[in-house]
Amino acid sequence: MTDNFGVLDDPVELREFTDFSDVDGTPTAVSVLMVQGMYCAACADTVESALQHLPGVERAHVHAATRRLTLHWNPALTSMSSLARAVGDTGYRLLPIQQALSISERLRETRQALWRLFVAGFCSMQVMMYAWPAYVTEPGEIPADIDQLLRWASWVLSLPVVFFASGPFFSSAWRDLKHGRVGMDTPVSIGILVTFIASSGSTFDPTGPWGYEVWFDSLTMFVFFLLGGRYLELKARDRTAGALDSLMNRLPEVCDLQKPDGSFEAVSIRRLATGDVVRLQAGQAFPGDGTVLSESATVDEALLTGESRPVIRERGGAVVAGSFNLGGPVLLRVDKLGRDTRFAQIVSLMEKASTEKPRLAILVDRIAAPFLVAVLVAAAFAAWYWWQIDPNKALAVAVAVLIVTCPCALSLATPAAMLSSAGALARRGILLRRLQAFESLANINAVVFDKTGTLTHDRLVLDDVHTRAGVSRDQALELAGQMAAGSLHPVSRALASAAVGLDAIGPEVLTDMAELAGQGMQALRADGSRLRLGSAAFCGVSVSEAAATDAGDSPRVYLSDEQGWLATFTLQEGLRDDAQAAVAALRAMGVRTWLLSGDRDAAAQLVGQAVGVDHVISGASPEQKLAEVSALQAQGIKLAMVGDGLNDGPVLARADTSFALGHAAPLAQAQSDYVIQGGEVMDVVRTLQQARCTLRIVRQNLMWAATYNLVCVPLALFGFMPPWLAGLGMAGSSLLVIGNALRLASKVPSGSSDTVSGKP
Amino acid sequence: MDVLYLLIPISVLLVFAIIGVFWWALQKGQFDNIEREGDRILRGD
Repeated sequence: MTDNFGVLDDPVELREFTDFSDVDGTPTAVSVLMVQGMYCAACADTVESALQHLPGVERAHVHAATRRLTLHWNPALTSMSSLARAVGDTGYRLLPIQQALSISERLRETRQALWRLFVAGFCSMQVMMYAWPAYVTEPGEIPADIDQLLRWASWVLSLPVVFFASGPFFSSAWRDLKHGRVGMDTPVSIGILVTFIASSGSTFDPTGPWGYEVWFDSLTMFVFFLLGGRYLELKARDRTAGALDSLMNRLPEVCDLQKPDGSFEAVSIRRLATGDVVRLQAGQAFPGDGTVLSESATVDEALLTGESRPVIRERGGAVVAGSFNLGGPVLLRVDKLGRDTRFAQIVSLMEKASTEKPRLAILVDRIAAPFLVAVLVAAAFAAWYWWQIDPNKALAVAVAVLIVTCPCALSLATPAAMLSSAGALARRGILLRRLQAFESLANINAVVFDKTGTLTHDRLVLDDVHTRAGVSRDQALELAGQMAAGSLHPVSRALASAAVGLDAIGPEVLTDMAELAGQGMQALRADGSRLRLGSAAFCGVSVSEAAATDAGDSPRVYLSDEQGWLATFTLQEGLRDDAQAAVAALRAMGVRTWLLSGDRDAAAQLVGQAVGVDHVISGASPEQKLAEVSALQAQGIKLAMVGDGLNDGPVLARADTSFALGHAAPLAQAQSDYVIQGGEVMDVVRTLQQARCTLRIVRQNLMWAATYNLVCVPLALFGFMPPWLAGLGMAGSSLLVIGNALRLASKVPSGSSDTVSGKP
Repeated sequence: MDVLYLLIPISVLLVFAIIGVFWWALQKGQFDNIEREGDRILRGD
């Protein structure tokens, strides 16, 4: 067989979807690919087991709902093309995700589905027309030859339904059969075939062993309903997984590259190189990290920073790949491309998360296989039983049992809800590392905050100013601010931002400015006197003078001129604006809060009181933090740890679930389950609400799907359910589950105004 | 009633004809984005 799998070995292509690393001297590659031709959970098993036993494959993992495959393999022992070929032999196709999501592939898939649906729909309507006279007349009222003609017409119109429209059911059932297993489509295929064969038999030999009855109307109608369900499911899955896909796939495929002569040419994004100048239209996403060359650009960076308001970038400002240009056309110089961008990190994180199977889904998949075998047995039993009572009904009952019991809804229940929720969160800049984290988070009853950088800003703010007699606060601050403006030290930045807009000393230019690392700044005033800003020793401030303006433990900085001490600035770690509201909202939700800090007791207590947490544990070393968390867990408390993702790795890993706030840590290294890129504490509350909501929907879905099977199987067994109704019921149950999950995609709770206002 | 011998086969052919027309429309991309035409009337260009 000639194929084009070889393309997958092209290093440039391979790098698009593969991470290479070296684990203990063994080269390891992790690839994420899309599996085409998958319909259900059983297909996932087939692909996994086809790969698992190949040499060089360490781990293969397929996620049924997103149809993504995560493959850990050894590039020294095997090649991507041979792996893809092995999967190809089982009847599926491996595609790089970019390609699988490309418009043309998707269009082809939707058109094919719609085409099958229409053929089944139109034929079933016409077959129903032919069947109608038989329903409304007494036996013998229709002349025998006309009756026969109607049967032949029905048979002709059933042919395209069985041999074309039902194709997906048969091919999937055949694949399962070849691997000696029972899949979701096996009962359906048996149902279609048995009905068709029996009806054809009685059409051409009305007195023969098949009896007189025909079921072409039931047959075509349940195929139509099943396909209708499949089609809507495909559409809805595009939307649940699509929320994620659209995030990951938001880079443009082509963009306008400026050529040396100044004209523009549309080129594929893969042909861009750093340093290229490109033009972006309104609504387009930036293809790489870059520098704005136009006057200004209005961009939406919600995915990357969690900031949902548009931000303005002036000429020379930096924009990031994956954010959207909201204003007019923008010229951009590309600085970073592809895997170097933060966007690429986000994509790979989300891809890994979406291929993971949550515990509930694994549980359901494990139940599904024996359940399907039980269905076949039940159908056979029903056929045998009814054959003795009413041979005319035996076939219809058996087929109804086969059709009605597909556990599709059950296996979709969990992943559909969790994926749609993860997509909604990601759009707010909240990233999820494992789908399982939804379950852990929904069950927590305590939140432990690390102090620095979570409840407080990681930057300092000015708290208080003491000045020498005769010097006003504003004067001192403005001088200090001017000096600090040239420095990047956190203290300098705090002073400079506090001094913005002051006009107390008139226009005065400081000259000869210099920064002495670790000590402070110095500068010359217009009148020739030397100013110093920095530590007490650097400014020549005596210990007694410094002590006179003591303000506890807070960091301080001094300003002096040639007459000595001039001013003392006391700084403080600024609380995040929404920290207090977030803690209050958590309390309203029945969640206890802890502050776990490595800082000295006084400082930690201060922050704890200001924010209103229930308990404060201070002065803890990293080992003690770990011990404290374990101790809380030993008391049966399920806790979520909120840290900056950089310093508290072991503690974050130990907690039941964890958040990293802000983007201090590179995504690949952050150890937490959730990454809140915007750095709002309130996002912890929103995520918690979303997780609880998700679990509620998952439970509803599982409950519904289980109830559906429990109710419908007996109904079908006792002959109360004609096959067409079974088809409708099965399609309907899957759609209900997906529709319920889609509610999660619509909106992340916009905050906790309701829970906050509930507080006295 | 004899006309039924003609009409029933014709109705079968008619179904195939209609399916053929739909196939043509589908391949022409008429169902790819059914919101598009509605949007277009609102846009100036």
